[in-house]
Amino acid sequence: MGAVSSAALPRRGELRLPPYLPLLFPAVAFMLAMYGWPFLSSFYQSFSVAAREGALGLDNYAKAWELYRKDIAFTFAATILNTFLAGVVAVLFSVYFRLRQNRVSAILAALFKLPIFIPFVVVSQMMTSFLAPHGLLNIALAQLGLVDLERPLQLFNFAGLSFGFAWKQVPFAVLIIHGGFQMIDNSYIEAARSSGAGMLKVILRVLVPMNKSSIVAALVLVYSSIVGTFTLPYMIIGGKTPTTITVDIAHRVNYFRDFGVANALGVCSYVMVIFTAAYYLKSRIREARQEAAR
Amino acid sequence: MRKPSLGKVFLLCAFLALALALPLSAQKARLVFMTAGDVNMLALGQNVFSPGFTAKNPKISVMTIHTGPGDAGSQQIFEKLNAEKDAKRKVSDVDVALVHEIFMKWAMEKDLLQPYAKKAATSKYVTSPFAKRALGVNVEDYVMPLFHSQTALAYNPEFVKNPPKTYEELKAWVKANPGKFGYNGIKGGASGVSFVTGWVYAATGKYQKYAVTGPFDKAEVASWEPAFKELKEFNKSVVITGGNVGTLDALNRGEIWMGPVWVDMFFTFMNEGKLDPKTKLLLPEPGMPGQAMYFVIPKTAANPELSRKFIEYVTSPEVQARDIVQKFNWYPGIDGSFIKASIPQATFDKIYGDVTPADLVKKGLSFPLADYKLAIAEAYEKWAQ
Repeated sequence: MGAVSSAALPRRGELRLPPYLPLLFPAVAFMLAMYGWPFLSSFYQSFSVAAREGALGLDNYAKAWELYRKDIAFTFAATILNTFLAGVVAVLFSVYFRLRQNRVSAILAALFKLPIFIPFVVVSQMMTSFLAPHGLLNIALAQLGLVDLERPLQLFNFAGLSFGFAWKQVPFAVLIIHGGFQMIDNSYIEAARSSGAGMLKVILRVLVPMNKSSIVAALVLVYSSIVGTFTLPYMIIGGKTPTTITVDIAHRVNYFRDFGVANALGVCSYVMVIFTAAYYLKSRIREARQEAAR
Repeated sequence: MRKPSLGKVFLLCAFLALALALPLSAQKARLVFMTAGDVNMLALGQNVFSPGFTAKNPKISVMTIHTGPGDAGSQQIFEKLNAEKDAKRKVSDVDVALVHEIFMKWAMEKDLLQPYAKKAATSKYVTSPFAKRALGVNVEDYVMPLFHSQTALAYNPEFVKNPPKTYEELKAWVKANPGKFGYNGIKGGASGVSFVTGWVYAATGKYQKYAVTGPFDKAEVASWEPAFKELKEFNKSVVITGGNVGTLDALNRGEIWMGPVWVDMFFTFMNEGKLDPKTKLLLPEPGMPGQAMYFVIPKTAANPELSRKFIEYVTSPEVQARDIVQKFNWYPGIDGSFIKASIPQATFDKIYGDVTPADLVKKGLSFPLADYKLAIAEAYEKWAQ
């Protein structure tokens, strides 16, 4: 990527079309038509007020703020917290898989790949029967005498949502982070150990810093996918308040055919991901530059 | 011998093709049936209506086209017909459409349909008020209902010995039994929307104005604030479930003892063994809304007689009894008394046992005019959450 941007600069004031432009054209045109245009159009429509024949204004945002500010805050909080949670758990598992290479960890690592291939809608269905007040989990706990079925654990809320996200996202994050840990040579770990570093220090001072880029990549991908998830919050939280903005967007569209407020909520979710996406892209470009420099 | 010119060969081929095609087309006419609704509507068209109708009319095949669930699916049919009108097409691609109530408001405004019901042989079986008005719009003669789906409160008689008969009694019951009533709010499916609509009817006593006569009056909306504030309090003692299915599942697992459900889903779940067979239904005063799905014929349909023939088949007592009531557990689009002879007494007793035909007439209400319907949903988000 670095090479592309430097070559695009015109040399010595010349205005010549770079020769690779025709080659790039189909891909770029496709991207612009299929992603760029809908994105811009959604941005534009969020300002277009249906009640005033599509005149531009902030009415949709005002309504989104009036009705859904709790949900926006909830989505943001749920996303940050669950990303953090998934990150920590995934790092712990990856460290375990990296440092303890035996049959048990091999089986676990293989099992851990399964949830990646299970679609969110299936996970959601599973969670609704697993986490229900009289669902599998509560009944199992009741059998052990830990829970009273008259007053079971209520998990169709933030807690249940987090459990669902963790179930689905931790394995995905482990896949990326564990891959990064595999690249770290044993000699670093042994060197740290022989200088007297404990396990915690090895993890915090050697493994994690050396694997920062893949951890960041995993976090960014998990974060963006949580912001955009619809089925899990829809089926776990449903019509409760607060809920996530994806549920609100579906409600605005399906019930009111109100694309204005739906797009305003959409823009909120773009804002939530754009900083992490920018950070991710920047770090990728920096890496690519470093690769090229080597 | 002279070689035949290319033009002549072409003419000959065209003639041959025509000669072959003519008897074929005379043999087989195709009817395009476009339906909104969930995938069960596609199954109904493809696997039930189409083969059934072709068995009776071997020269006609039925092609089912499915748009999508809910009002959004009906909107797609509306957009299709409206686009044909804008393009000044003389003949529509669609012969018969099956649509939701809201479609009638849009289509009647744009004059996209033709009247047919009075000419249909089966119209004598239709007695429902839903065949006359849809969300306050006069639709008489333009529609015939395929089925009627109704919401009602389902309850478990094991725990609820003396179920509340009105919304007022329900409030007291919920206060006495916190956490035992569940519904899905307004974002998780229409059984919750229906419950909330009934709440507004009960609190205002203005069913006639909101759902029958109209007109839409913005000042009414402001008057709902206390009713929705009360609903907010009510919501503190109830469980908000994950959807239409969520309510049924919670009932089945015994997590809640009472909740609003779609009657057809209720019976389907029961037939499939997914719901405790003891569970019963009731319609509280002043009633809860239900809705019909309608057959309509586009104004520019190619062959209105053929379209009508199809509708007559599907609204015949035989098909209504066998497919609509027994297979899909809906209330029939035609008057229940006409199908009584065609279904087993046990089935009739089951579907009309808890909620009697008299209950349906009195308390099977309609959803309000479209503007009120939207206003109720928004008022809920503003005041009850």
